[in-house]
Amino acid sequence: MANSHLKYESKKLATWYFTFAAIIFGAQLLFGLVAAIQYVMPSFMFEVVDFSVARMIHINALVVWMVFAMFGSVYWLLPDETGIETVGVGIGKLLFWAFAAAIVVVVLVYLFIQVGPADETTIWFIHEGREYIEAPRWADFAIVVVALGFVANLYMTGIKGNRSGIVTVLMADMIAFSGLYLTGMFYTDNISMDQFWWWWVIHLWVEATWEVFVGALAAYGLITMIGAHRKVVEMWLWIEVAMLFGSGILGMGHHYFWIGTPEYWWEIGALFSALEPLPLVAMFIHVLYDWGKMQGQEDAKGLEQSVITNKPAFTWFILNAFGNFLGAGIWGFFHTLPQVNLYTHGTQFTSAHGHLAFFGAYATILIGMMYLGVQGKNGIKIMRHTKSSIWATSMIFGGVLGMTMALTIAGYADFIISRAQWGATWEGYFAGQSGVWYLQGMNWRLIMGVVTFIGFLFLVKDLLSTGRAAHHER
Amino acid sequence: MVGEILMTQDIHVDDFLTIFISSTLVLIFGGFYVGIYTAVKVNLLKKWTMPFGYIFWVLTAYCLYLMGSLMHVNDFTAKALVVAAIGLLLLPHAVYYMQDRVHEENEH
Amino acid sequence: MAKKSVWSDNRFWQRSAGWVTGVASVLLMWLTFDTIPQITLGTDADLENGVTKRVPGPTVINYKITYEMDKKRHHEVPVIGGANAEGKSSFQEKEKFFGRDDWSEEEARALLRLGKLGSQAKNCMNCHTLLGNGAYYAPDLTKAWLDPAWGPNGPMQAMTGKNTKEEAMAEFLQFPSQYPTHARMMPNLGITAEEAKGLVAFLKHMSSIDTNGFPRNFGKIEGAVHGK
Repeated sequence: MANSHLKYESKKLATWYFTFAAIIFGAQLLFGLVAAIQYVMPSFMFEVVDFSVARMIHINALVVWMVFAMFGSVYWLLPDETGIETVGVGIGKLLFWAFAAAIVVVVLVYLFIQVGPADETTIWFIHEGREYIEAPRWADFAIVVVALGFVANLYMTGIKGNRSGIVTVLMADMIAFSGLYLTGMFYTDNISMDQFWWWWVIHLWVEATWEVFVGALAAYGLITMIGAHRKVVEMWLWIEVAMLFGSGILGMGHHYFWIGTPEYWWEIGALFSALEPLPLVAMFIHVLYDWGKMQGQEDAKGLEQSVITNKPAFTWFILNAFGNFLGAGIWGFFHTLPQVNLYTHGTQFTSAHGHLAFFGAYATILIGMMYLGVQGKNGIKIMRHTKSSIWATSMIFGGVLGMTMALTIAGYADFIISRAQWGATWEGYFAGQSGVWYLQGMNWRLIMGVVTFIGFLFLVKDLLSTGRAAHHER
Repeated sequence: MVGEILMTQDIHVDDFLTIFISSTLVLIFGGFYVGIYTAVKVNLLKKWTMPFGYIFWVLTAYCLYLMGSLMHVNDFTAKALVVAAIGLLLLPHAVYYMQDRVHEENEH
Repeated sequence: MAKKSVWSDNRFWQRSAGWVTGVASVLLMWLTFDTIPQITLGTDADLENGVTKRVPGPTVINYKITYEMDKKRHHEVPVIGGANAEGKSSFQEKEKFFGRDDWSEEEARALLRLGKLGSQAKNCMNCHTLLGNGAYYAPDLTKAWLDPAWGPNGPMQAMTGKNTKEEAMAEFLQFPSQYPTHARMMPNLGITAEEAKGLVAFLKHMSSIDTNGFPRNFGKIEGAVHGK
């Protein structure tokens, strides 16, 4: 830590964001394990840390660590892209501490107060009870202030420095990302209206603005790690933006099938959902294409060496392209059409898709960014894999894939009994939960969850120690 | 399209598995098609493998058809699926065409 | 240098991305303006005048609600106050809710508000699904009010020893771990008698929302297998 190679304060701030993100990532996995144990052993921590509490922390930690890592990624790449120190980095540091402190308080309240009376004080000070955006109202305002500061820094830096295509995309994307949060900050008695706007935050985050953010990171990664041509990469980025927003914004329709909204959303949802995998396929080939092209040029020079300057990070970037296609693409597509979704909506299928999509599309690339951070901080020219990084990568990826498979099998057993045969009643639900395949699926999910967690421990060990390893080229 | 029937009938319980498998295969075969096309274009695979790419696209289209018919989709959704299939057919061509142009402009 | 082509021009793609995003956003906003009035909470007057709303007013708790196949739409819709000759809601048949079928608009609204706030404060959504969204650790509550298990001959009502659906549900919500239905139990969330009443009103109201036939075949056991 003492002899940091980082010249820019912005990059130092980025490493703080990455560190805090990794800690919250750990919390996410830990509470995920608690919830997974409860599926297998329902009495585990019953009325101590109930499933609802464990799951709330599991999914909130997920959102928070990703947002932290995303902010960190922007602070990391800004000096490289704009050629200048981030404007207002001092305020950025202050906001980091405010954000981190707010998150710690929120999580402690979730954990120790858990529920409140049925009035507005609960919504303001404990939690809002709305999946993914449970943060209490006071924290919403804190988040808005932090996000405003962050966006302001990004804009001021982009305007003052060299505004590359990547920075332009990020500027447009991050303002939408922050602005959308506002649509989730109100209370209504009408549950249909509630969920209508709730999806504006959730869907337009994870299926639009976050995906575009990933596109921008992938573009940055290709330029920095394999020396891809900026012009090619940025042109691709614009095409991806067009495809992602073109399909993703109206893909919103697939969340409006059953919440009380009119029937025309079926057609809109079906059409744009069917198109949603296309940009993911395009992103995947683009990454492979550029890699093949750059390596081909290197080989043509007769040099038998890899063009990749950061092996672990690049591995995670490739896994991102693959995982995005797999988790968001395949697992999303097979239950997206209304005819099938009528039966599968809100079963373990959704859970299987959620796990692989969040991991494949976001966790992977953000872990990759953390490796870029370690590389820069230690002044490494070519960073190679270590034993731990290989164990971490394979155990985390294998673990999440295993969990997804297990949940898919459980989901099939679940929905065919509880939905298709029993019509979704209380009794039907528990009939579905008692099938042999379902129970086996849940056991394997837990086992694979443990594998993922061990992988995470390897990852932490590697992130902390690989900077000192001797086999990197400095 | 408003007022048209979308759910014409229940999906038969035995058809669900076929639907899931075929919709998964849609993207897997689609991926093979795109993968083979790209690999041939960047000279990772020999030229004669190209027809196999197109065979995979045909399989993709068939799986889409199978999935759609078992789901009893209405006309509109059927059209949407056809658009998606054609989109997939054109996608790698467009990608390659543009990549090639840009690389040419930047490397000469 | 090769001739510049529009297809490899960054500015062209930048503008295209802008246009595509803009058009998609405008369409989404336009659709939102069309959808919002359709999902706005109805009023007591709507119910009295026989106006079918996708999301009926809170006084729907005064009416009998069922879930019937709509022949034209080919899926099930909530039918409020009994069906008329065409199978649509007739808004005639009332049903007592905690002993009354004359809840005023203000009272019903206050009860629904208490229930909706309660559903958030008690974190229902992180075990159950509401309108199909939430967690998958406990049954979907979209049409829970219509679940035969809570009906006159249902096991849930019998278990709580109450005589009406709403009292049985309220009893369960207050003392969930006294009435286990599975190894997986609902924890005690400190729900008061008043909050339980609100929550049941919230559930009854939710069951009256037109969810385009979700969930399919609700309460008709083995419907999908042998139904067609």
